[in-house]
Amino acid sequence: MAIDSGTWINVGFYIYVSIAFAILALGFNLQWGYTGLFNAGIAGFFLIGAYTAAFAITPPTPPSIGYPGHLGGYSLPLPVGAVLAMVASGAVAALVALPTVRLRADYLAIATLAFAEVLRIFAINLESITAGTIGIPGLPAPVEFNPPNAFLNATVKVAVSAALILALLLVLYFMAESPWGRVLRAIREDEEATMALGKNTFQYKLQAFALGGALMGLAGWLFVITLNYIEPTGSSAATTLGFAPAVTFSVWVMVIVGGAGNLRGSVVGAFVIYGFQWLSVQLKDLAPTELKEGIPYLRLMIVGVLLIVLIIYRPEGILRERKRVLR
Amino acid sequence: MATIFLALLAGLAALFGISILQYTLAGFRLSSIVIVAAIGLTVIYGIRGFANFAYGDLMTLGAYVALFVNMNLALSLIWGAIVSFLALAVVGILLEVLIFARLEGRGPVPPIVASVGVGLIIQNGINWGGTTQQWIFRIPAVTEIPIVPGIGFHWIRDFGTFVVGIGFVVSVHLLLTYTNLGKAMRATADNLELAKATGINTKRVTYAAWALSCSFASTAGILLGLIGVLSPTMGFNVILLIFAAVIVGGIGSPYGAVLGGLVIGLSQEMSVPLLIWLERPDVLHLEHSTAYKVAIPFIVMIGVLIFRPWGIAGRPPAFARRVFFMERITKFLGRRGDATEPVRGEGGG
Repeated sequence: MAIDSGTWINVGFYIYVSIAFAILALGFNLQWGYTGLFNAGIAGFFLIGAYTAAFAITPPTPPSIGYPGHLGGYSLPLPVGAVLAMVASGAVAALVALPTVRLRADYLAIATLAFAEVLRIFAINLESITAGTIGIPGLPAPVEFNPPNAFLNATVKVAVSAALILALLLVLYFMAESPWGRVLRAIREDEEATMALGKNTFQYKLQAFALGGALMGLAGWLFVITLNYIEPTGSSAATTLGFAPAVTFSVWVMVIVGGAGNLRGSVVGAFVIYGFQWLSVQLKDLAPTELKEGIPYLRLMIVGVLLIVLIIYRPEGILRERKRVLR
Repeated sequence: MATIFLALLAGLAALFGISILQYTLAGFRLSSIVIVAAIGLTVIYGIRGFANFAYGDLMTLGAYVALFVNMNLALSLIWGAIVSFLALAVVGILLEVLIFARLEGRGPVPPIVASVGVGLIIQNGINWGGTTQQWIFRIPAVTEIPIVPGIGFHWIRDFGTFVVGIGFVVSVHLLLTYTNLGKAMRATADNLELAKATGINTKRVTYAAWALSCSFASTAGILLGLIGVLSPTMGFNVILLIFAAVIVGGIGSPYGAVLGGLVIGLSQEMSVPLLIWLERPDVLHLEHSTAYKVAIPFIVMIGVLIFRPWGIAGRPPAFARRVFFMERITKFLGRRGDATEPVRGEGGG
C-alpha cells in the first residue's frame, strides 16, 4: 500500500470536512453570488440541518444521570435524514426570508446574524431537546463495519461526500444555466430592471434563499454522518466547523476567494481555505512551543487579512464569473 | 413618556415584587453602555452607509488599551479611559485611510466583509499577542449602598455608567447642534453630494466621524469591562445588541440611538422576571430560562424591521409610510405580483 492507514484517515478527514464546507459555500453562493442576498446566518441553517439529521438518524438515547437526553432517536435510514434536514432548513430559511429578504443588504446581514445567534442560544440551553453543551455523541456513520475499521470507514465517508458534491454540482449547474438562474443573476445586477420586465423578484429571492438554506441543511447532515458528534457551543479546534459565527465568516472567505457567482469557485475556495486550516493543525508540532498555543488565533487573523485584501484588490476571486454576452 | 414608564414599573413591581427594581437598575446600566456604543455606531453608519461589524471588537480594543494603562502603568482608570479614547480615535482614522476609503461607492456588502476582517484581526490579535484569560480593571473598592435587602447601589458600576452615558449624550447633542463640525456631519449624513456642493470638506467630516465613532467605542468598551470582566470576545458578544439599538432607533440618527439603547437595554434586563416565571414547572418548565434574555432584543429588532424599518424614532421617508401600509394591505388581500417597493431605511439623519 502506497500510503499508510493513519495518513489516509487524516487526508480523508480533510476531504470530507472540505466537502461539507463546499456545500455550505454552494448554498451561500446561490444566495449571494447569484442573487445578491447577503446571508450572515449560515451557521444557523447549518445548525438546523445538523440537529434535524441527528434527531432523525440516531438510535434512541434515554436520559440518564449526567445526560439529559435529546429529542428524536428514530434510527431512520441516513438518506431520509438528509431529506428531512434539507426540508427543515429550507422551510426555516423561507420563513426567515419572508420578512427580511426585501430589506437592504445590511439589514439582511444583521437580521440573519441575529437569527443564527438566537438559534445557538436555544441549542445550548434547551437541554431536554438538544442535550445542551454535552452534545449528541454516537451518531451513525454511513456504513458501520464489524469489527470497526477506521480505514474503510474513512474511505466510505470520502466516497459518500464525493458522490454528494458531484451530484450537487451537476444539479446546480443546470439550475444556474436555466432561465431561472438567469433571473437570479438579473436580480443581483439590477432588481428594478428585472421587476420592470415583469418578474416577481420577491418570489425568486425567496426561492433562492430557501434553496440555499436547504443546501446548508444538507451540509449539516454530512457533518453529522462524517464527524458523528455535534454540540452547539462553538467550533472544535480540529475542524473549525461548528455553529459559531466563525463558520459563517469562513464560508464568506471561501466564496470570496474562489469567486462569487460560479460553482467551481465555491468548491475550490472551500478546499483551499480549509486546506490552509487543516495544514496549520497538521504542522502544529513543527512550530516552536511558544507559538503553538496561538496558532488557531493566528489562523483567524490571517483569515481576517485575507478578507480585507481580497475584497479591496480582487473582489472577483481566483476564478472569476464567466462573462455572458448577448448573442 | 416618563410617567408611562413609571406606571409600567409600578405595575410590574406589584406583579413581581420589589426585586423588579434590581432588574430596572441593571437595565439602565446596560442601556447607558448600549447608548454610548450605539451613538458611535450610528454616526459612521449614517455618514459612510455601511454596518461596521468590527464595532464590538473596537470596543474590546478600547477596553484593553485602558487595561494596559491601568495595570502596567499603574495609573487610574480615568487616565486609561483618556488614553484609550485618543488611541481609538487614531485607529478609526487609520481604518478609513487604509481600508474603507478604498471601498467607497461599492455598495454595502464589501465594507461589511472588510469590517468583519478587521474584527477578526483585533479579536484574535488580542487572543494571540495578549492573553485569552479574563481580566478586571483595578478600581478603588467601594461598598454597595443597600436599597432594599439584596439590592445594592454601586457608586462606580451603577452611578458611574449613568453619568458617563448621560454626559456622552449631552456632548453629542451639543456637538451636532452648535458646532460647525456637527452641522457638517449632519449635512453629510443627509446628502453627501449636496454637502459637497455647499463647500463642506466631506473628507474631513468622514475622518471626524470615524474618530468620534471609535472613541465612543473605547468608552463603551471600558464601561462594559467595568460592569463585568474583560475578555477578547466581550465586544463581539454585544455587537448584535448594539445593532438592535441602532435599528430600533433608526439608522443614522444619534437621537434614535438613545431611544433604541433604552428600549434594548431595559427590555433585555426587565424580561428576566418574566423568564423566571416561565421556568416554573406549572407554566412552561423552560430550563435555563434567564439565558434567553439576550434573545429578547432581537425579537424587538425583528418586530421593528417588519413594521417600522425606518426606526421607532425616525420619521418615515416621504411617501414610504403610505406606500408601506398600502403594500401590506394589498398583500393581505392577496393581490400578488405587485411590484412596488418603497424606499426604506433612509429615516433620520
